[in-house]
Amino acid sequence: MSATTEQPRRRSRLYRREHLVAASFIALPLIGFLAFAIGPFLYSIYASFTNWNMLTAPTWIGLANYVRAFSDPYFIQSLGNTFFYMIGIPIGLVVSLALALAMNRRMPGRAFFRSIYYVPVVSSLAAVSILWQWAYNGDFGLVNQVLALVGIDGPNWLADKATVKPALIIMAVWKGLGYSMLLYLAALQSVPRSLYEAAELDGASSFRRFFHITLPMVQPVTFFLVVTSIIAGSQIFTEINIMTPTGGPEFSSASIVWYIWRQAFSSLSMGYASAMAVLLGVLVFLITAFQFWINARNSHDGVE
Amino acid sequence: MMGSISRRTLLAGTGIAAMATGLAACGADGTNNGNSGESSGSSTTGGGGAGVELTYMFRGGEDERKAYDQAIAAFEEQTGAKVKVIVTDADQYRTKLQAAITGGQVPDVFYLEQGSVMAFAKTGVVKDITGDIEAAGLDVSKVWKYGVDSYRFDGTRVGQGAIYGLPKDVGPFSFGYNKTMFEELGIPLPDKDKPYTWAEFRDVAKQLTSPEDERWGTGLNVAWNLQAWVWSNGGDWADEERRTVTIDTPEFAEALQDFADIQIIDGSTPSIEQAQTMDTYQRWMRGQIGFFPVGPWDVSTYQGLDFEWDLIPYPVGKTGETATWLGSLGISVSNSTEHAELATQLAMYLSADEECQRSLYQAGIQIPNLVDMAKGEYLEAEGAPANKEEFIQIAEDYGRALPAAATWTPEWYDDFWVGIQPVLDGEVTAADYVAQLQPQMQAKLDAANMDAGI
Repeated sequence: MSATTEQPRRRSRLYRREHLVAASFIALPLIGFLAFAIGPFLYSIYASFTNWNMLTAPTWIGLANYVRAFSDPYFIQSLGNTFFYMIGIPIGLVVSLALALAMNRRMPGRAFFRSIYYVPVVSSLAAVSILWQWAYNGDFGLVNQVLALVGIDGPNWLADKATVKPALIIMAVWKGLGYSMLLYLAALQSVPRSLYEAAELDGASSFRRFFHITLPMVQPVTFFLVVTSIIAGSQIFTEINIMTPTGGPEFSSASIVWYIWRQAFSSLSMGYASAMAVLLGVLVFLITAFQFWINARNSHDGVE
Repeated sequence: MMGSISRRTLLAGTGIAAMATGLAACGADGTNNGNSGESSGSSTTGGGGAGVELTYMFRGGEDERKAYDQAIAAFEEQTGAKVKVIVTDADQYRTKLQAAITGGQVPDVFYLEQGSVMAFAKTGVVKDITGDIEAAGLDVSKVWKYGVDSYRFDGTRVGQGAIYGLPKDVGPFSFGYNKTMFEELGIPLPDKDKPYTWAEFRDVAKQLTSPEDERWGTGLNVAWNLQAWVWSNGGDWADEERRTVTIDTPEFAEALQDFADIQIIDGSTPSIEQAQTMDTYQRWMRGQIGFFPVGPWDVSTYQGLDFEWDLIPYPVGKTGETATWLGSLGISVSNSTEHAELATQLAMYLSADEECQRSLYQAGIQIPNLVDMAKGEYLEAEGAPANKEEFIQIAEDYGRALPAAATWTPEWYDDFWVGIQPVLDGEVTAADYVAQLQPQMQAKLDAANMDAGI
């Protein structure tokens, strides 16, 4: 009733045009997202219930791919390897925070060091992987040459199942250091100085100032880094594929995305690959949700 | 030109409307370039492919591109068609091709890996070009039999039946030795016609080895060299029909153990882990390794080495027959192409054009596909290896396809290598390894055969 009595205010032409322009701006990325992310995402869910070799039409096989995943030792192992690589995340956080603290001081050459640590971040991952592959060469590699200087006979990093994962972790930490450092640096610079001054007046040691002011103040950045690193880490692929193209000795370096890719493109099992990708997606979603839950609970406690 | 395929025979009888003008253009080959290309495309004097654009997708290095550019230019000149070339990295080729197939954008002509023949032929991605080849008057017997047979499929087995591709190359994986090292140590040179027995080989390898002098008998990557041991001992990964995994036979286990013992017992190789890395390759190039595999694609690099080397047959197991594998890559035509005849013609050019083949072998990356050229000018050509004959014998006589070349997917075969390291390290015996692995590989081979519907 009110709809008939209350004439909607006539929008001006300018107003409508602006809306149209705005909508078209939004439409571009939205269409891109729908076409290139949501579309394939939905299709892969469908594909995960099919037997599909990508050459002929998929045939529906229900849950068979999921059953297969749970009895496939390579799936379990590559998933395990992938989570093993995540040991690098806390290491990377600690090192990058330490670096950020160092870079936050006034010292000569600060800008130079900040840039140097950022170089790996902007370098191509493929190129960096090839360089590290050489560096890890058992005989002529830079890593073992350096170790030899201090009298250590280094292993053949990428060919030994005991060292291949640590080798890849070291490289991943090195590669990601600059990015986390930069974020921490920004966070450190926005910590109010007054907090430190007050703590100093109260006689707090530098140790206590770090743990009770700095660390809590950069906590949002830590949270952001942990969440994004886990999501990115679960998709580790390029360096694995370049540095250990057969999945490493006894499958010890194969990551889950690498195995998915192999199943899809080498073993003509796109359906099975899709099922594993869906499982990975669910797992990452659950972990992320859990992190947000923990985070929300912790910050709530902090306020109280 | 005699005895091999000239451009004229390639074109003759293709049944295309402008065959006569095609031959006319052929007569003008190289003398009147201004008459061909785009201008001829619009005129009535153009070849049968005027106005047509074909896509050709492949992977390869600089030398291959150069050789194919020549062949493609000649093809374009003859037919008036245009060829759009898509080159990818070796790593990305398979993924890109698969994406193109799924997206319904299959290139007209493209590389086909041996291991994909069954899958691609059975699902109708690649075209049966048997008829086109006959119509074009190409005598396939001029190309290595193995090369053509690799792309035959009869509905259940690869290696027989209709032709689904022509070889881009055949790749004999031969065995080499560092001649200079032998001479310096005063060790009698190996005989190129009489292979070592395993015992002799291990003995010589031990004599060559002296770690203090950075010198080792050999250093063989298991994934590419074990075949020679296993086959020569009468074993194989699977039966002829590719139904039963046969790694758990005594011959197989014996071969694997002997291979491992070169390292474990004799210590004739640099170190335990290095079998899986490129290290021995670098050592070979530095002249520190006595025996090392050599493929035709290595020749251009190895010609620059500062020691003399040559080819010999692989050492022999109890059959007394030397063995090794012979790879190949194919050139196929899409089943969905709108220009099947032209596309087949292009494939034939790339596979069997004389000029193209000459430039490829001269670049030191492959042996010629044309049997007569290989046995003629290639054998007489200057440059290492002196015993080029070994490559020819492998291609013609004793080379075999890798086990997964004729199955639906390579997954069953790949599994063999995943856990091989403990055997090479001496932690697990070969017999235990193959016995424990057989059921797992059998299950995967069964699954592959089931997926293939054979």
